[in-house]
Amino acid sequence: MTFATQLAANVSADDILDRLTAGDAATLARCISLMETGGPAADLIHRRVCAKTGHAAVIGFTGAPGAGKSTLIDAYIAVLRAGGRTVAVAAVDPSSPLGGGAILGDRVRMRRHALDPDVFIRSVASRGHLGGLSESIHRVVDVMDAAGHDVIIVETVGTGQSEVEVAEIADICVVVNAPNMGDDVQAMKAGVLEIADILVVNKADLPLAQRATRQLRDMLKLRRNRQDVAILETVATKETGIDALGGAVDALLANRAGDKRKSRERRMRRLIAQAASRLMHERMRDLTDGRLDELAQKAATGEIGIAEAATQALSLIRP
Amino acid sequence: MTKQAVQLSLPGFEQAHGGWRTEYSRQIGADRAIKNRSGVEIKPLYTPRDWNGDGFLENLGFPGQYPYTRGIYPTMHRGCTWTQRQLIGLGTPEDYNKRVRTILDAGATAISLIPCNSVFRGNDCNEVDLPLLGTCGTVVNTADHMDRALDSVPLGNISTAMNDPSPFTLLAFLLAVAKRRGIPWTSITGTSNQSDYISHFIANHMFFRLSLPGARRVLLDHIEFCRTYVPGWNPVSVVGQHMQQAGATPVETMAFTISTALQYAQDCIDRGMDIDHVLRRFTFFFDISISFFEEVAKFRAGRRIWARLARERLGAKDPGSWRFKFHGQTSGVDLTVQQPMNNVARVAVQAMAGIMSGLQSLHTDAYDEAITTPTEETARIAVATQNILREEAHLCDVIDPLGGSYYVETLTDQMEEEMMALIGKVDDAGGMYKAAEAGLIQAMIGQSALAFQEKVETGEEKVIGVNCYQADNVAYAAPPTERPDVERMQQHVASFTAYKAERSQTDVRRALDALKRAANSERDNIYGRIVEAAEVGITHGEIVSLLREELGFGHPLVVV
Amino acid sequence: MTATGLNPPARVLVTKIGLDGHDRGSRIVAAYLRDAGMEVIYTPPWQSIPAVVKLVLEEDVDVVGISSLATDHLIVPKLADALRTAGLGHVGLIVGGIVPDDECPALQQAGVSAIFGPGSPRDEIIAHVAALAAKVRDVKNAEFREIAQ
Repeated sequence: MTFATQLAANVSADDILDRLTAGDAATLARCISLMETGGPAADLIHRRVCAKTGHAAVIGFTGAPGAGKSTLIDAYIAVLRAGGRTVAVAAVDPSSPLGGGAILGDRVRMRRHALDPDVFIRSVASRGHLGGLSESIHRVVDVMDAAGHDVIIVETVGTGQSEVEVAEIADICVVVNAPNMGDDVQAMKAGVLEIADILVVNKADLPLAQRATRQLRDMLKLRRNRQDVAILETVATKETGIDALGGAVDALLANRAGDKRKSRERRMRRLIAQAASRLMHERMRDLTDGRLDELAQKAATGEIGIAEAATQALSLIRP
Repeated sequence: MTKQAVQLSLPGFEQAHGGWRTEYSRQIGADRAIKNRSGVEIKPLYTPRDWNGDGFLENLGFPGQYPYTRGIYPTMHRGCTWTQRQLIGLGTPEDYNKRVRTILDAGATAISLIPCNSVFRGNDCNEVDLPLLGTCGTVVNTADHMDRALDSVPLGNISTAMNDPSPFTLLAFLLAVAKRRGIPWTSITGTSNQSDYISHFIANHMFFRLSLPGARRVLLDHIEFCRTYVPGWNPVSVVGQHMQQAGATPVETMAFTISTALQYAQDCIDRGMDIDHVLRRFTFFFDISISFFEEVAKFRAGRRIWARLARERLGAKDPGSWRFKFHGQTSGVDLTVQQPMNNVARVAVQAMAGIMSGLQSLHTDAYDEAITTPTEETARIAVATQNILREEAHLCDVIDPLGGSYYVETLTDQMEEEMMALIGKVDDAGGMYKAAEAGLIQAMIGQSALAFQEKVETGEEKVIGVNCYQADNVAYAAPPTERPDVERMQQHVASFTAYKAERSQTDVRRALDALKRAANSERDNIYGRIVEAAEVGITHGEIVSLLREELGFGHPLVVV
Repeated sequence: MTATGLNPPARVLVTKIGLDGHDRGSRIVAAYLRDAGMEVIYTPPWQSIPAVVKLVLEEDVDVVGISSLATDHLIVPKLADALRTAGLGHVGLIVGGIVPDDECPALQQAGVSAIFGPGSPRDEIIAHVAALAAKVRDVKNAEFREIAQ
């Protein structure tokens, strides 16, 4: 049934959920769009979807452009498929700050799987979200989870704060480096090493690969609790080292099986805090209460401090 | 930085020049800075103060003398006119044969073969939707097909250009046919017109079949094989056409093409080949745009740069290695769909630029090239254009007629400087192979393409019938689009399928295994095995798919 | 709010089917559409029809733009059929490139809403794609209107 006819039949959220969890790709695609659009229908669907999440393993891949992420993911998906697992991919690309548009070219690198019905690939534009992922990526991943995929891969370029965001949303974080990328790995952004669960040195057949691996190992030694982070060498174009990557991911997943609900709840806390902060910001902005002006005058002359003023202002916006 | 030329003593010059400039400024009204496609600023007038022949022997010299700026041979077109080499290809081998015989009868001295797009993509005819077959080139998948395509063509006496990218199956079929006809391979002459895999990776994706490293290996094997067995064949044609058609400026095109030639030359040196042996058989293939003087300067500068780099950088000792031999094709990108008959004028101007640049062979587009493959009539006009330029405009009477023009010499020098800077940039990136692999060249070309399109959008760059003079646009009464006869093509596919089934399967198996082993070996010459496979009846699609399997499928890098 | 007024931005596929590989024009159009605020999924040439259908479905594409030189436009009706069969008949379809006049009607019959030849002004292309995407969005958005009740 096409969506147009569904409308005619006055389809309910239940029907959408049923189709989604049954694995209908068209429904998944439209639900992802809905999540990206937002609004009451999206909220409704998402709330229903939440109860159906928790099955999928979410694996984040990040790394600078040129590291060969997409090729690596392409090879890794083949390993997953060989093991009988179904896969969904969210490939995130930055939107242009100027017009808001984007060129989304990652999915076509996952050539091998262009016709595999058990590999669902979706390109996601960041749409102005400053974190490097997208505002709605959590919902998108939840919907993919509810649709029944065994593994969800989130791919993003390592810019902005995307590593932190990926760490939150993913069960496992894979950071991909390549030895030929100009600067040494020492130029890697702070924060990346803290969140990486697995470090990959791709294009390991290049002469400087050994050096990159050594440098990463040295850097890890300087950080607490990071000694066990695996450093794997791969040549994605030749499919070398991919099985080892799969093994490393599975081992970590097994270890963390119990954490999934906790980490989801942790993420929820942050999302709630974020949403609350946004709400507060909006309400503050919309405040026409003269008492805010009063506070501002007092703070301007130093009669009260800003921190004190803020505490007082909070009471103004509580419903 | 242009080197300081010795100034001529020209009494009264400054005053007269100043006088002209005053009058010019007074009368010109709204003047504006003009830049050519490469971004070089063009003045209204050039004088001995811009160029005065200083350094004549060092920078110009004489035709046939290093650095060959004025031409690579002493006699150039006055002694031996450029080769009229019209590219053709369509339909079935029989259709091609009919057309090629007409061309030979009309006096062409060389032929070329363009295979069908399905062949470019590495497919056999039974693997592709029927409507797509034979529309832009000839469907040749086997030695038998080649035999029929070249029926009655005196292979030993005529030069053939095969528009055939790596792994060069068409030449393999040609050699198989020559062997059948008792023609020794030593008398086969021609060129592998599309051996430049780097340019395909960058700018003509349809031709890019094998992975970069795979194509690299096959090209080197191809060069070695030809050197030994088909010494009259030019295995290397370094192609500037694709990049210019993709939007590279003339300066970029020449710089990148020469950089590519340097890369291939270096690869050959690294393999232990003798550089003179190799370079003697290097040829180049360029588009000729309608930016008339810019094209002339481009080729003259290219000739000079190549001669110097070949001698000084590559260490070639044979003057044959220093000579920049090139085939030019009038640029289809300048032709328009609107008011198509205007294209006859455009092609004439482009051809003039090519001839006056001193090319060695020329293809003129038909005026309907932008719309369809040429009909017999439009192809005739394209050839007549060349004849008119030669016989009526007497363009062959003087060698390098634009040499000594203050403008053209200055422009040649300026464009040479820009080209050398770009070649330096490519060097910094590690050479053309690495630069292409990293997408650097594609990004630069994409920028130029966008910039040019912007100029057309705003009307700064005028295109008659497209952004000006559109009122003259009439519905072009195009003849019904010529498509290959469907029934004949269907039959061609059917007989091909039958042929595959009827071959000796043991021979097929043996040849394919040998090819597979060669592809996986370090030193076995893959191209030799390809030729053997062709002789035994292996098809084009079988060869390409096996090599894609063993050496990697060619995926172009997408850069927006 | 994007330049073209659609929120979220229009999702456009720019691709090539068939055999041709020339992409100078399609790359430029993709850049135009991006600069106009659209999200463009850009593919290398030679996409198979089944791969395009899967892509359109998964990416919830609003408009499919086929770049065609030579004769690849001859199999666009086949693509249109495949999209319809997959329940994607409402997705917009345009062709850019060179199509002989006498072969245009077949494309129009197959549901191609515009054929942009060389020299088509940038703004015209953008306006058409934006309008087409808006129409397609109306159809799609109707789907979820009822659910929130």
